[in-house]
Order: sequence, then structure tokens, then C-alpha cells
Amino acid sequence: MRERVVITGLGAVTPLGVGITALSHGLRQGLSGVGPLTAFDCTGCDVRIAAQVDDADADLGTFIEQPKLTKHMSRAALFGAAAAAMARRAACLGRADVDPLRLGVSLGVGGMGPVDLDMLAGEARAVLEAARESGSFDFDIPAFAKAYRAMTNPISALRGLPNLAASHLSILHDARGPSNTLATACTAGTQAIGEGARLIRSGAADVVLAGGTDAMINPVGVLGFSMLGTLSRRNDDPTAAARPFERDRDGFVIGEGAGVVLLEREAFARARDAPILAEVAGYAATSDAYRITDERPDALGAASAIRLCLADAGVDPEDVDYVNAHGTGTVMNDITETRAIKQTLGAHASSVPVSSTKSMMGHVLAAAGAVEAIICVLAMTDGFLPPTVNYNTPDPECDLDCVPNTARPARVELALSNSFGFGGQNACLLIRRL
Amino acid sequence: MPADPSPVTRAQLPALVRDIIAEVLMVAPEEVRADTALVRDLGAESLDFLDLLFRLEESLGRTIPPERWNDYVQDRARGEDLATAITTQLVLEFAERELPGQ
Repeated sequence: MRERVVITGLGAVTPLGVGITALSHGLRQGLSGVGPLTAFDCTGCDVRIAAQVDDADADLGTFIEQPKLTKHMSRAALFGAAAAAMARRAACLGRADVDPLRLGVSLGVGGMGPVDLDMLAGEARAVLEAARESGSFDFDIPAFAKAYRAMTNPISALRGLPNLAASHLSILHDARGPSNTLATACTAGTQAIGEGARLIRSGAADVVLAGGTDAMINPVGVLGFSMLGTLSRRNDDPTAAARPFERDRDGFVIGEGAGVVLLEREAFARARDAPILAEVAGYAATSDAYRITDERPDALGAASAIRLCLADAGVDPEDVDYVNAHGTGTVMNDITETRAIKQTLGAHASSVPVSSTKSMMGHVLAAAGAVEAIICVLAMTDGFLPPTVNYNTPDPECDLDCVPNTARPARVELALSNSFGFGGQNACLLIRRL
Repeated sequence: MPADPSPVTRAQLPALVRDIIAEVLMVAPEEVRADTALVRDLGAESLDFLDLLFRLEESLGRTIPPERWNDYVQDRARGEDLATAITTQLVLEFAERELPGQ
């Protein structure tokens, strides 16, 4: 009988707001966190919409108990640290409640190129200065190096290190156990929670801060995804742009944010009388081994993750009450995911509610899997199914009950959360009500 | 190097150094006194000195090789623990030597 891993605290920073209350409220009301892209001047860009975290919502710095660390935090690291602080507070885990060596970190991170806008601007300035010095637009590396050295604060480079967000959590929480950083794109958040649970089951930790964070709403990130043809171009109607499973969908909306949960060994949680919200009942991770972005049209990669996850939890398809889909709203993902769900859940696929909360908060990339696991917990604790909004016209190839437009009151016992990432990684979690 | 239009004068240095230290260590300027030891009293770490040197470079309009700072500190500390030896006063005296024209 294997050790149960439970969830005792939740924390989130999303386009629907800062904190869990704002998230739950937004989901239940079917609100949209998508709007015009204002993080930078996107004049002339093909994509001018995004799901941004509204900085005015709350001073995230107030969640950071060692203010000096914020100098070394990228935007994503700040989101992650704030979410982790919330989760820990919610779990009522005091400093003395866990041996630091038994407290670990498991964090999904993302990013592509210079992680924050100011870093990109700094590189641009150095390039321009080099061109000015050398009088030519050929890339004169010695001139660039001289300008870069003169203009760049040495400490800023650290923000780009992928493992730094997890390091900040270790420092802030005196977490001296294992620290794992997962960089598997859209799957990272799901894998961070699943692998965090595995850390606990393997005996390596009693408590793990597990989640994901990403903040890629900068020119390189947006242009990159835009040029790949993956982003919606519904610039004239931002809140209607993210429309997973709907006939007129044209891609995902880039989002940013973080989701962190506190995972605990059940016996440890019960011994300290922790608030136990749910169980990580199952987890599986597979790979398509097919193409860089295209998913297997036969959906075998995604289906294998779902099937193995059900087996890991020891449950039957009919036991699943709700599926939080990967549901990016790209033409292909939603078709492939529908196929995978039908292949694995069989007859049950025609009645089980499957919604995509990316319809409301966009795709928060490496944070998505973690935020979506949190959403599964909220569905249980707050008694509702989050909707897929912007569902106007059905797509015959995505013929699922996607909880169109309006949240539905429901008692959820077992929820499946899917994540299928660029690079072909697939990961699923089964969350069980306790 | 972005040129500082008005060169810093010797008289401005104490306030400049105090403000840089306060920004780097994220403390109130009032907490930065002449005898304040940056490591022992304000929790400075190695990264903070890189940050501090960069801001000095920006303010003084010149490049300061880290070795110059390191050698200066070793020289002045004379074997004393750096946690107590590196004070605001020491940083100020280093900045005075780095003033263009010195």
C-alpha cells in the first residue's frame, strides 16, 4: 500500500487575479483575464492580446519575506515566490513544523531567450552602442562585449538561470531537501506536482512546495509563439479570443502567472493536523517522440499519459467526474485531445464534463499544469465545474461536454488534469477529494 | 558607457556612496553610517558587492576592474575579517581614489 500524498495549501497569481479567492471567483463567474497586450508596445505585431497579471492588483513584494532577494528575481520568480508564500500560509506550516532537510521544492519553469523586458532592452542597447562605436551594423562582437560589460549590472544575468526561481523558494522557506526544476514547457507545472509527489513517496521529503511559474509576455516570447502560428490573432475582440474546442478557434492566448501547492506525506499532514484538501491520487508522464510541435494525430502520446495515470491511481474511466483539459484552443490540440479522451475514457467520454480553463486565463505555459491542478482542487472544495467560455459554435471533431460558457454546480470526487507540451511531453494528474 | 553629463565631485561622494549602499542592500539611507559594516550589520553578500561596484562605475563614469576593489579591500583589511572590515568609510575612500582625475 503506497504512501498517500496530499495537498494542504494552494497559492496562485494568475490573469484572473492575485490569490486563490480571486481565481475561484473568476472561474465561477466565467470571467476573462485576456485583454489588449500592454506589457510592451506591440504596435504592428500580428498578436496584440495577452492574459496579463495585473500588477496593480497587489504588491507582490509584500509576500517576499526577504526583500533583498527581489533584486535577483525575474518576473516569473516573483510570481512563484508569491504563490509559494500563499500556499504555505494556507497550509499553516510554521518554520518549526518541518525539518528543513525534509522540505523540498519541485518547480516548473519556462522562458525563451532574455527572461524579462529590461534584459532584452539592455542587450539591444549594447548592440546599438556597439554599432555606433564601430560605425557599422555588422555584429562586431568585441565592440558588443565592451558595451555590454559597461552597461550591464553583473547580477542581472542570474535572473535568467532556469533554476533560480526554485532557489528563491529554498532560501525563503529554508527548504534544505531536494530541489528540482522542470523545464518541460506547457507540461512543466503538471510534472512538477507529479514528480514532487514522487519525491515524497520515495522517502526523499515529507513536504514539497510544488508548482509552476512563467512570465513570457515580452517581445521575444510573443513574437516567437506568434511566428510559429500558435497564437490567436483575434486582436479586435480579446476576451473572445481563447475559445478551446469551439469551431472558430485560432490558437492560444499567451498568459503569465504561477501556481504552487504544498504537497505532504499523508501521515505527516495528519500528525500536524494540517488542512487536507485533496490527494494526488495518480500521475503519469509520457512522450510523443514524434514532432517538435505537432502532436501525434493518432493521439497515442496523450492517450498513453491518460491511461497510465488512471492505472497509477487504480481507477476506472467511469470514476472520473471532471477533466480539466490541456485545451489550448489551437486547432490541432483540441482535436487530438478529444481523440485521446475518447480512446481512454471510452463510452464515459460522451458524458464526462471536460472544460478548458485556458478559455478564461489564457495559456500560462509552465504554470498552466500547476494552476490547473489547483483548479481541480477548487472544483472539489467550492463545488463547481469551471466552464469553457466563448463556446458559440460546436466543432463536430471536439464533441465533448465542455461545460459551455457557464460554471455548473457539481460534486467532484475525482478530477483528471491533462497537459501536453511543445516537444511532445505529456503529463496527467488525478486529483481525488478526501 | 552612458556618459554622466555632470561629473561627481569629491564633496558629493559621501552622500552618493551612502545612497548606493542603501539601494544595493535595500535599507534606509539612515542605516548606512560611516562605521556600518556592510556584511556584519547589513547582510551584504558577494553578489551585493558586484552590484555596488557596477553602480559606482555608472555614477563615476568609469570602468572599475573587480581586482582593483579586491586588492584594495585586502590591503586595507590587513587580515581582519571582511565581515567587519568593509565599512561605508572604506567604500567611500575607495570611491575617492576612483574619482576621475585622482
